[in-house]
Amino acid sequence: MRRLGAILLATALTAGLAACGGESDAGQELSDKPVTLRFTWWGSDARHQRTQQVIDLFQKEHPNITVKGEFKEWNGYWESLATTVAANDAPDIIQMDELYLASYAERGALLDLGTAAKHLKTADFDANALDTGKVDRKQYALPVGLAAYSIVVNADLLAQYGVPLPDDSAWTWDDLKRIGGEISKASGGKVTGVQSWGFNDAGGLNIWARQAGASLYDEKGNVTIPPAVLANYWTYLADMAKTGVAPPPSVTVERASAGLDQSGTATNASVFGTWWNTQLTSLTAASGKKLQLLKLPGEATAKSPGAYYKPSMFWSISSRSKHPAEAAVFVDFLANNEAAANVLLTDRGVPANNKIRTAITPKLAETDKAAVAYLDTLKVGAAPRVTPNGASNIEAILKRHTEEVLFGRATPEQAAAAFIKELQAEIDGA
Amino acid sequence: MSALGELRHIRGSTRGSPRKRDNRAALVFLLPWFGGLFFITLGPVVASLVLGFTDYNLIQPPEFNGVDNFTRVLSDERLHQALRVTFTYVVVSVPVQLACALGLAMLLDRGMRGMAFYRSAFYLPSLLGSSVAIAVLWRQIFGADGLVNRLLAVVGIEGRGWISDPGTALSTLIVLNVWTFGAPMIIFLAGLRQIPVMYYEAAATDGASRWTQFWRITLPLLSPIIFFNLVLQIIHAFQSFTQAFVVSGGTGGPSDSTLFYTLYLYQRGFNSFDMGYASALAWLLLMIIAAFTAVNFWAAKYWVFYDD
Amino acid sequence: MTDLKPVRAAAKHLGLMLLAFVMLYPVLWMVVSSLRPNNEIFRRPGLVLSSLHTQNYGQGWDALASPFGHYLLNSAIVVLGCIIGNLVSCSMAAYAFARLDFTGKRVWFAIMLGTIMLPIHVIIVPQYILFSQLDWINTFLPLIAPKLLATDAFFVFLMVQFIRGLPRELDEAARIDGCGHGRIFWQIILPLMKPALATTVIFTFIWTWNDFFSQLIYLTDPDMYTVPVALRSFVDSTVNTSWGAMFAMSVVSLVPVFLAFLLGQRYLVKGIATTGIK
Repeated sequence: MRRLGAILLATALTAGLAACGGESDAGQELSDKPVTLRFTWWGSDARHQRTQQVIDLFQKEHPNITVKGEFKEWNGYWESLATTVAANDAPDIIQMDELYLASYAERGALLDLGTAAKHLKTADFDANALDTGKVDRKQYALPVGLAAYSIVVNADLLAQYGVPLPDDSAWTWDDLKRIGGEISKASGGKVTGVQSWGFNDAGGLNIWARQAGASLYDEKGNVTIPPAVLANYWTYLADMAKTGVAPPPSVTVERASAGLDQSGTATNASVFGTWWNTQLTSLTAASGKKLQLLKLPGEATAKSPGAYYKPSMFWSISSRSKHPAEAAVFVDFLANNEAAANVLLTDRGVPANNKIRTAITPKLAETDKAAVAYLDTLKVGAAPRVTPNGASNIEAILKRHTEEVLFGRATPEQAAAAFIKELQAEIDGA
Repeated sequence: MSALGELRHIRGSTRGSPRKRDNRAALVFLLPWFGGLFFITLGPVVASLVLGFTDYNLIQPPEFNGVDNFTRVLSDERLHQALRVTFTYVVVSVPVQLACALGLAMLLDRGMRGMAFYRSAFYLPSLLGSSVAIAVLWRQIFGADGLVNRLLAVVGIEGRGWISDPGTALSTLIVLNVWTFGAPMIIFLAGLRQIPVMYYEAAATDGASRWTQFWRITLPLLSPIIFFNLVLQIIHAFQSFTQAFVVSGGTGGPSDSTLFYTLYLYQRGFNSFDMGYASALAWLLLMIIAAFTAVNFWAAKYWVFYDD
Repeated sequence: MTDLKPVRAAAKHLGLMLLAFVMLYPVLWMVVSSLRPNNEIFRRPGLVLSSLHTQNYGQGWDALASPFGHYLLNSAIVVLGCIIGNLVSCSMAAYAFARLDFTGKRVWFAIMLGTIMLPIHVIIVPQYILFSQLDWINTFLPLIAPKLLATDAFFVFLMVQFIRGLPRELDEAARIDGCGHGRIFWQIILPLMKPALATTVIFTFIWTWNDFFSQLIYLTDPDMYTVPVALRSFVDSTVNTSWGAMFAMSVVSLVPVFLAFLLGQRYLVKGIATTGIK
């Protein structure tokens, strides 16, 4: 019995060890035999329904291909993906996030979509957009949607407290703080002017760095943000909390961890909040008030534009897929098919495919149209480098150091030094 | 009495006992368990031990790196924070939870009117388990706008977001854990039910007070169950994961104040693709828990009473 | 003196009622929220309902790939398998550890306890590889088979403690009457450990019903999803979540566990105390 256990163990381990098999050939002809593809994504029930409809459409066009959708929630998604990849049992088509792209691609888990060009067309995508899905100059992922960081303002509350809408073509970070302060004062603290950020994504930090002429990472994937820039960022956030422009830290942290529906913007407890422009529709649905998108402060005086297009998510194909050609056909359908786009609309962000974006815009809700318009009129710089392999934890690291500063457990300067050191160590360790 | 009973038990197996060993019967009764051990448990357990000596990112094959993972433990500050959090949690929450569970079990064991209702009411929160709704639910109590703060506001105290303040987050989690004392309570109840009524009847005839009955009958006869709860709750508390994960969204925040050991291990393994180190951490935890459990079993000789 | 008794009882009940309310507050809030429109849930504190938004239940039921009943059924199958597995295999192992004298008993016992000391997160990847070699992924086998093989040391240890609490004279007497271990186990020990068995059933039910991690990992095909996996797939923190529907289905999924608990606790009460063995 002991020996049997040992044998089982040995087979189990070697199966894991042999994980990196040969690259599949995505350029071959399509099979006319029955093929089953596994397709996995994260999201909420609304996305699951839309995606299933698209799968049904695809299967009608390709009767011999069955697509099995595997939907998960964000945290469970990454646990499950890591485990299945480790066991050489990954789904064929993978919804990928910018944070994890390099971690999977550099370790050979993803297919170079360039090899699938025969089945997967990318002509209707901007080169800039396509670049966001490249790692080491190979197209490991195709951007699905684009988003840009913005300030969401509650126009109804602004009117209620008699504060005029700021001119977002020229405003500065000091303006935001000042106007926010006026609101907090006018409401007697019931409503705060600004909802603090720096918790759930690195968008704010990226923009802050870019406006200062720096960037979070350099091309090689090392942390290059100057400590002083980082310290300024936290000084600004801490000031807002101290002066009552933003809620007290514990309230801020609580709302941040609770997700969109329970945020200050969604519950009408804060007037200004930083969000991705594509979240406007969700926020409006939750708040029931008139919300608007404003450009970020500081862009007019910035050394270089802070704004950039961030891919909301990507389509990737597992490098160990047994049916890479069919998987590529399916991704092509998701990315380029108008019928599919009509179902998905902006559920995964404003489509990165220009032709599709134009085609669906008339069918969008008002708030989604506003999101598209925001994206179209925004002056953006080149997208920052994809999150380096090993830094997929950056959001948690950023959140922790932001908390250290807000709760007065570290000065902005100490936090800056610690943050840079920790993030760099994660990258070096990968 | 208990020490003697235990002594009798231990000697029974070492001294040249007149009784024949029941090896064959034991094999039959343990057959499923042996099967599980060798076919299901052992392989992955050994694999995790081996992985503890490797650099393994889940995607590429593991590479042996000797004892690097274990020396890294010494300088890993977040690990030290995780150890502090976990020890605090174990030391505070286990006794409090057990005391609450035992107290309520005793209270509910008396044939009181409405007992079934209370038992169910007190148990209901434990049924929620790690349901996804739970983070939202706790926020309704301990959040900035939660029940606690609204009650405090009545008496004029300004509250805060208890879960999201690094000064109070761990204490709040300990309270949450006490909240779900249902499991040990049920086990205590079952244990109490197993104590033959005749003991109490006899004691009552002898004029023993309730207090004396508790010390002389309930505690000794319940001691195996108390011991069980103690051992398991300690093991459980060391591995505490779900509550902190759900409440902090997997970060162990704010400011690492609820960074439980297993939560940190999980972050290393799944978020940072550092499964080799995570495996080493797991074995370190196993050794810590095993040490605590061994002390527990050693101490049990002096207070746990078995009737065999 | 006699007048004080009802007062004291009333005070005791009042205290218990208050405690029960606080304990139940989250559950009550969940029920109330399942009857609120989505955008009211987080904008209104407290338990007062302005209207009954019962649509949440219908929406939640049909929100995912299959009607929610499908996931309830899957969970029920897993739970049933785990309960049978734990009852049979753990009680057998427990009898051996509690009553039999065999070679290496202490070592085996230590190993058994040791198996629950490793966090599942480092076991899961090798275990997944093992089960995928057996082609067990997307079946309920990875969830049930371990229980049939007594890998749940918690229950083995629990039952060991209960059996050791039973008077030895009972099985000594049976042995003198010529009973083998099989009959002692079946006819004497098992009936006497009903509270422990009921505890096992209740806990296995609740823990399996709520277990998320292993069900998420081993069941990748939505047809096989169980309740906890299905419930989580309502949630996305970056967009609107159908909280109302999610709470509604949480309430629905709480009903079976609660019923199981109510049924189970009736057996808990039937220990030695009422079976007449004195």
